[in-house]
Amino acid sequence: MIRLAFRNLFQNKVRLVISVGGVALALLLILSLDAIFTGVERQVTAYIEYSGADIWVSQADVRNMHMASSSLPDSVARKVKFVPGVASVSPILYLTNNVVAGDERNLAYIIGLPENTELGGPWDISSGRSLPAEGEAIINRGVAEKSGIALGDEVEILGDEFKVTGFSEGTASLVNSVAFISMKDFEEMRGSYDTISFLLVKVSDGESPEAVAARIQTQVRDVTAQTRNDFAAQERQVIKDMSTDVITIMNLIGFLIGLAVMALTVYTSTLSRRREYGMLKALGARNTDLYLTVLAQAILSVILGFLFGLALTLLLTIVIPIFGSNLVLEVSRISLLKVGSVSLVIAAISAMLPIRQIAGLDPAMVFRGR
Amino acid sequence: MSLARRNLFQDKTRLALSIGGVALAVMLILILKGFLTGMNRQITSYIDNSPGSIILAQEDVVNLLGATSLLPEGIIQKAETIRGVDEAIPILSQFVILDLHEKKQPAYMIGYDPKLGGGPWELISGSEPRSKREIVFDRIFADRHDLKLGDEVEVMGKDFTIVGLSSGTTSWMTSFFFVRKQDAEDLLLAPNATSFLLLTTSDGASLDDILRRLNNISGVNALTKKDMSANDIILFANIFSAPLKLMVGIAFLVGTMIVGLIIYTATVERQREYGVIKAIGAKNRFLYQIVVTQALFASIAGSALGILLANGAAQWIMSARPQFLIVFDPVDSVQALLAGLGMALIASIFPTRVMAGLAPAEVFRK
Repeated sequence: MIRLAFRNLFQNKVRLVISVGGVALALLLILSLDAIFTGVERQVTAYIEYSGADIWVSQADVRNMHMASSSLPDSVARKVKFVPGVASVSPILYLTNNVVAGDERNLAYIIGLPENTELGGPWDISSGRSLPAEGEAIINRGVAEKSGIALGDEVEILGDEFKVTGFSEGTASLVNSVAFISMKDFEEMRGSYDTISFLLVKVSDGESPEAVAARIQTQVRDVTAQTRNDFAAQERQVIKDMSTDVITIMNLIGFLIGLAVMALTVYTSTLSRRREYGMLKALGARNTDLYLTVLAQAILSVILGFLFGLALTLLLTIVIPIFGSNLVLEVSRISLLKVGSVSLVIAAISAMLPIRQIAGLDPAMVFRGR
Repeated sequence: MSLARRNLFQDKTRLALSIGGVALAVMLILILKGFLTGMNRQITSYIDNSPGSIILAQEDVVNLLGATSLLPEGIIQKAETIRGVDEAIPILSQFVILDLHEKKQPAYMIGYDPKLGGGPWELISGSEPRSKREIVFDRIFADRHDLKLGDEVEVMGKDFTIVGLSSGTTSWMTSFFFVRKQDAEDLLLAPNATSFLLLTTSDGASLDDILRRLNNISGVNALTKKDMSANDIILFANIFSAPLKLMVGIAFLVGTMIVGLIIYTATVERQREYGVIKAIGAKNRFLYQIVVTQALFASIAGSALGILLANGAAQWIMSARPQFLIVFDPVDSVQALLAGLGMALIASIFPTRVMAGLAPAEVFRK
């Protein structure tokens, strides 16, 4: 019966292409939306992951960066430095604002860095300096290209002019980019000199970040200390919790479209093979055998559709960045599992539609020449 | 025409499936667009409903939601001395992430002075925050997290009591909540800080002149509420436009595939009949017309059903998940019908090629 399903499926190539393509596109809807959000999760945590810090210390109960504000008295740096297991600390200042070049405005995390800092700076410099001196800014290369900015040009941040002295890579997301300026400039612009936003901590060799974070948490008041992994996980959770409802709705629509395509294909192909099925019945095949053939055909189609949809999604992950978009797609294992299960459900339901056709098939029909 | 209709209506289940498939694709396109329009309306709700006609922000800040703004000290007095400015209402605002029932919820905090204004514009129940650590939450937002008047909620590590519930202050992405400005200053460790000034102007005064005079003050950027809401919409549209275009493109392709499949199958099944028609002298053009008519019917019927379905689905989504606002623009429906036409034309390509290659003699050979 599997052989028959296989032959049925491959006999008409155009129908096969259309049905597999239709299912693939419907699954692509689900896969690509998942991939977009997974990509955003990775992008928004890039700065944290590449900061070089083992522990992030923030204002009490501030657990992430994106859409958040953290303010710590600068005395915290001193207190944290004395916690056993801490090798070095580096403060950063942070807020979200625009990098303005002519008429172009690009939303960015503005990071104020202390001189010669080892933590929190740009991690991949494509050209120019790797740390900003006073009056200088390091911005994302893609953003600079889009706005026509070359090294040495000026951009405006918070009303002040900055000379662009470096271009960084991997610092742009769908939402914003990251721009680095000196801590001194940041403080002057804000008119505040005794607060920092986050404290980046490196632990001594052999120390576990979890243990040191717990120590900071108990020994320093009014702070939240989290390991880099925990901090990034919190950031990812913000995106996850925000997108759950949207993803559910889109998944449902993708599922219904996939179901409609598959049901249509299975139904039309069963209908066009009524004579053959009638012949099989006349030769003694039971209804169950025929159902299994239809089911096998549906499962084979969705497997092909799933593989094709996955290939299309992977192709999009490569093609979209080539066009200069900050949209990054990343296919996660959970998403593959989910879409795989959805495909099987689609196959099972769509195979039920022609049951009536098969059950009502008269084996004698084939001899009557109908 | 009648042949096309008969071909199409001969198998009702197939027709229903194909119309349903196109309808789902069109519904998806419409819902995505309606979703974006609704979001635009929701994100500008504070600007649209707050007092005044001008917003004063920190220099280079052109958005309410996108950027952090901190105005120079003494700005209220300076702004109020500007000719044409009637009243300056300060607010301190900032996105914060609330941890509610293990869920991370971004929310936009507005710290305001209830005596001056700038708070919730529609209180459904309770009152504005009058004492320390009191908060007004959005009704839908509170409902989603099982919160009611008198409940405590933690904001940046401090407990606040819900004293009022507001309406029209939420979206799927974020929600506005309101506290006294002093409480916001405490939370952000920024005493006397002000993010924005909401400026009311005297009757008859020229907005352009007032904006010019305000922009002469150093370290600030004055813009009309209309401009600021437009900037917020652009900011969010930039973020969502690429994924949205991708989704709409996929939906269009799916619709085209469905129409293509149905018309192709219907054509191939009737190859013999078409061969007979050709053999008795019908031109290819006549046969093409039959194919295109079938495709057009399936697509237009599917698009029309899609528009109806989209409206139904939108109502259902908004009642099940009130944080979503889906607004349909009539232009979107016209575009959906055009998309249906596009699907029909593209879907006709394959079947017409089958027709073109049909040998009239074939029918007599079988």
